[in-house]
Parts: sequence; C-alpha cells; structure tokens
Amino acid sequence: MADDSPASHRRDPIKSSVGNVAAQRRRQNAVTVGKERRESLVRAKRLCRVGPSADGEVPVEGNDMITDEEEFHLEAQTSSAVEDLKSAVAYQGKGAMQKRVNALRELRRLLSKSEFPPVEAALKAGAIPLLVQCLSFGSQDEQLLEAAWCLTNIAAGKPEETKALLPALPLLIAHLGEKSSLPVAEQCAWALGNVAGEGEELRNVLLSQGALPPLARMMLPNKGSTVRTAAWALSNLIKGPDPKAATELIRVDGVLDAILRHLRKSDEELATEVAWVVVYLSALSNFATGVLVKSDALHLLVERLATSNSLQLLIPVLRSLGNLVAGDSHTTSTILVPGHAITDGVIKVLVKCLKSEHRVLKKEASWVLSNIAAGSVEHKQLIYSSEAVPLLLHLLSTAPFDIRKEVAYVLGNLCVAPTGGDGMPNLIQEHLVSLVQRGCLSGFIDLVRSADVEAARLGLQFMELVDMGELTYAAHLFSLLLI
Amino acid sequence: MAMVVDCQHDLSFPYWTSTLRRFDPDSPFFSSGNIERELLAKQVALDLTEDERNQLEKMVDKDARGVFCPIVGCGARLISLEDFEDHYNARHTASCSVCSRVYPTSRLLSIHVSEVHDSFFQAKVARGYAMYECLVEGCGLKFKSYKGRQQHLVDKHKFPTSFEFFKKAHPSKKQRQKNHRKQAMHKKDEEASSKMEVENETMDGLVSAVSKLSTSDSSPSTVSFGRRHTRGLPFVPRSVQHEKRADSTPAGAKR
Repeated sequence: MADDSPASHRRDPIKSSVGNVAAQRRRQNAVTVGKERRESLVRAKRLCRVGPSADGEVPVEGNDMITDEEEFHLEAQTSSAVEDLKSAVAYQGKGAMQKRVNALRELRRLLSKSEFPPVEAALKAGAIPLLVQCLSFGSQDEQLLEAAWCLTNIAAGKPEETKALLPALPLLIAHLGEKSSLPVAEQCAWALGNVAGEGEELRNVLLSQGALPPLARMMLPNKGSTVRTAAWALSNLIKGPDPKAATELIRVDGVLDAILRHLRKSDEELATEVAWVVVYLSALSNFATGVLVKSDALHLLVERLATSNSLQLLIPVLRSLGNLVAGDSHTTSTILVPGHAITDGVIKVLVKCLKSEHRVLKKEASWVLSNIAAGSVEHKQLIYSSEAVPLLLHLLSTAPFDIRKEVAYVLGNLCVAPTGGDGMPNLIQEHLVSLVQRGCLSGFIDLVRSADVEAARLGLQFMELVDMGELTYAAHLFSLLLI
Repeated sequence: MAMVVDCQHDLSFPYWTSTLRRFDPDSPFFSSGNIERELLAKQVALDLTEDERNQLEKMVDKDARGVFCPIVGCGARLISLEDFEDHYNARHTASCSVCSRVYPTSRLLSIHVSEVHDSFFQAKVARGYAMYECLVEGCGLKFKSYKGRQQHLVDKHKFPTSFEFFKKAHPSKKQRQKNHRKQAMHKKDEEASSKMEVENETMDGLVSAVSKLSTSDSSPSTVSFGRRHTRGLPFVPRSVQHEKRADSTPAGAKR
C-alpha cells in the first residue's frame, strides 16, 4: 500500500512512540479487524436460503453438515448467549461495557461459524431488542461493531428473519454517519445490504427512513472494503422496481464522479459492485441514463470490457452498456456515431464478447448489437462490414437457442432501414442478399420451427423480407426446404 | 408445418421493424446473467478459521510511518497513539459539550443540542413554532412537539414505535459528578466571554450560554467549545478474536 495523498484513509497499523505492549497488541488487532472484515466479505459468498452451492472458490467450513445433535447443542448455546446478553444489558455497575461486549462477542461467534447460523434460536430468545439497545448513540465502537455483526447474520437468511431487523433499522442507518468509525459504518452497511436484498417492501422501508444518502456518501472514497460494501448495499437498495431510488442516487452530490472514478481506476472487485449500481441506474432511471450517457461512462465501460477477463465484472459492465444503448436513442444517434472512435471501440468489445465462451456474454452482446443495428443506415453498414457478421452467422447455426434468437434480431435489423412510415419495410438489399448467400436462412427456419412464439415470428418476418426482396435464389432455396 | 406466406399482408402479422429493445432489470431476459448475482443478494459475515487467522497475522507486521486517520474524508496524518486520540476527540466525535452524549453525525448532534440545551428553542416551541425537525435527512418537515415528530417518523418513515431519539436516562450520579469534574478541569476559554456553565442539566442553568447557540444549522460541529471530551480512545476496534488477554483494558480505553 503506497503512501497516498491525504485524501485516502486506509487502515494502517497505528504505531505509537510509546513502546506499550498492550497498545501494540491493540494496534495489531485493529489492523487485523480491518483485514478480517474484508476477508469475511470475500469469503461469505452464500445465499442462505439457497442450499450450499457447488461454488468451488469459496472455502467450505468444516462444520457445514452438522448433525441434529450438534444443531440442538448450538441452539441451546445460542439461547444461553442471548440470556447472558440480557443480563449484561441490564447491568449498570462497574465494567458494564466490557460485560456487554463480551456477551455480544459470544453471540456473534455462534452466529458466524457457518453459513447457516442458529438465527431462529436467537430470535426466539429475544435477541433483537437487546441488539437494538446495544446500538444506542454513544456506545463504544466495539459494542456497535459486534451488535451490527450479529444483526448482519440474522438478516442473511430467511425472509421472516430479515424482516425481524425492522426495529434496528433507524439506528443502523444512523451509524452510517460521517462520525462513525469505518468498521462500524461498514458493518451497518452490510446488515442494511442484507435487508435491502430481501425484497421491495423492505427496500421501501429503508428508503423512507433515509438510508440512501449516507450509503451513497460511503461510496465516495477512493478505495477500501467499506466502499465496496457500500456499493454492494446500494445495488440492492436501488434495484427497484420503483425507479425513484435510482434517480435519487445519481442526484447525490459526488456520486457520478465517484462512479466514474471507480470504473476508471478501482480494482476489479470494487468495479464489479459499482458496475451493478450502474446496471440498475441505467435500467430503471431515464434521468440517470441521460446523465451517464453525457459523461465519460460509455468510454470507461468500453475500456473495462476491453481489458478485463473477469466474468463477474464483464457481465454488469456489458449490461450497463446495453442498458445505456437501449434506454436512450440519443446514445446511438449522438454518441455512438459511425466514424467516431468510441463507436469502433464499442463494436470491438462486443466482438470480443461474441468470441467469448460465456453464454451470457454472447447473448447480451448480441442484444446490444441488435440495438445499435436498429439505428441509422450508417450504423447498419458499420456492423455489416465488421468482424461481427461472420461470428453472428456462425452463432446462428451453432449456439444455444437464446443466443440464436438475439442473433436473429441483429441480422434482421441489418436488412431493414428505418421505415418511412407507410408501414412497408425499407429493405437494404445488399445486406439481405449477402446474408442469405452466406447461409443464414436455415438458421431462421430453425427459429420458425421452435416452440417459442417470438422466435417463430422472427423467422417468419425474415422470410417475408426475403420474399419481398424477390430474391429468386432465396425463394428457390426456401421452397426446397419446405418440402 | 403450416406456413403462412401471404402476399396480401394480414394486418395481424406485422413486418419486421428495426427498433430498440429495452428490458427491466428483473426481466427474464437477464435471468441467466443474474444467477450468480442472486446468490449475493444476502451475505453472511463469517469468522475466520484458525489457519486464516494465522496467515493474516503474518501479513500484519508491516512497517508504517505513522498512520492516516481512518475516518472517511479526513486524511490527517498522525504520529503516535496519543496524537491519534487527541485528533479523534477533537475532530471526530460528535459529542455534546453539555451532556456528553455522542452522535454518529453532526446533524443529529445539532438537532440534539437545539432540542435539549437551547432555551431559545424551547421559547419558540412555547410560542407555537414548528421546531422539531424530522430526523430523516432530506425530509425537511418540522413539528411543534417531540411527540408530533415521533409520530411522523412512525407514520411516514416507518420507524419502529419503540424508537426514541432522546433517551431520558441520565448517567449515574457518580458518572455525572465525574463528568462535571472533568469538564471543570479541562475547560479552555477559546470563546471570548461565554462559558458553558453546567451546574445541572436544566434549561434555566443555560440561559447565559444561549447567546452562543442558535437554531440555525451553522452551529455545532463546533463541538470544540473548548471542552475536552473525556480522555480515552472510544473507538479503536479491539480484538474481535478470542484471545485470552489479561490486560483487557489498556490504558486510556475507559470512558
């Protein structure tokens, strides 16, 4: 970690001029906690309501499959820990703070051993009101951290368990404030992210309680695990279906700048979270789309697509690009103008995606191309003469169904100019003839044969174009295939 | 296979049209791309295993010259732990200089001070002005009473009915006496004339200090009324590992 300008705020070890052993250990622990938080985030990639996935990259805890007896024991321990917390909270005398922290820590450990923590037992024993009390203003950071951590894991499971966090929400939101220490703010953001991930109803509660502005501000620093957690939580918070939150987010001072900065410079993990934020901004809010299109965003998205090989990053980046193209016809008509460098750049990275082995990339890249091909004649010519067409033709005959459908959209769009308005399509003969000659008809016929209504319609509509073009060769081939 | 290729174009069968296609984020169109992301909708914060903890500890012993203040946006550079404590107390605790309550944002502190320690505020309330601000940033509504504001939070912002912004529970008498003693000792007269007399926490005792407070927004991140917050580092997150440490209360950690 190089020394940066004072604007950064990393969690470096605190060195004291006093050689105090206890302070030294405290320092080490402070760093460890900071790193621990980040490691935990990296490791805990499970959705509790789905069973243990086959995701090989995440280290599996040894005690994933616990026996009934062990489970019973764990539940008993949990209830007992909650009881301990109860008395600790009630106790007012000397050492009360330490007592509370110890009890919280005990509970937290029980709740963070595996991806399936004993949440039900904790809730039944009455953990929530106690945890809420431990979040009161002015509490020691350690207490806040442990309480927020417990709440995080309670919220990570079933819907009704997540909903149980309702009484804690205003306090969790408050502790996102600028005066809170980073680990506390991050842990609260994590808990709130879980709550937002539950569903629309809870999202609306969070929004009405003012969760968005403080979370948005946590995205502004240059780096750190806190920024990443906040971005993830935001992506959950704004995912709609109501577009209001997305519009509100892009309006927060400094957010656009931070998004662009992260897309430009940040490491892939952080950029991935931010890209998901952009996905929802561009899919839900016309206002946000407009703002993004006018900024450097397209260029930065193209850069990432060109340079990264991480599927986790490529998916939201590609989709953001797709949303920006689909959401506003201005994108294609004023920014992605044929002849501009940015346009060539876009085609190039879309071709890269078509060449990828990943199904999602091929499908969504085709979708984006189909929208660009829905632009002006110049756009169609640009795509037609690019590396894309041979790839598309190949995909049309070999790829899985959903990809073939998107490819069909591209090819068909290449053959039809923007209509004059009398309803009759305006054929681009050159493209149509060439594509047919290169053998695309059989692919379209396959689509007609498919069970999917939309695909069948596409196939038929294309046939009709061919027919209208009075392409003798094609007509013959066509009738041959019909027999 | 029935094919309809009709030269008289049936109105119900549209021509190919080249148009933009847009999808909502939850459209089935995106579902294959969403699979992995859905798994991350909720995340458990797991503890590290023994091995991981050991590995981490090996990474920790790095040399650094001092430290940057970890609070978001601060960036101050500090040389020693004491330095850090002082800096933190001066700059980052939004603590009320009157009653020592601490808040996570300047705004909440400001609201607290107005509502609890400002008799000018109380005077306006008595005259029927709507002085109690909604706690949710950006809402902007104000109310004539604490209860009215509370009801608004519950009704409009879905706060739980159990939420209390101002908890009337006072610190123990012993603690209060200790606070007063500390404040008396650490008083610094940065402001020219007014001192914050804190004999007791009633409104009357604060009339003299009122002139320094206002109900506008500009006041209290001037938490530095010259009051020293109690010494001790409230914030360094102590170990969240299960070590058996005999010295669980390092010097200065008490509040």
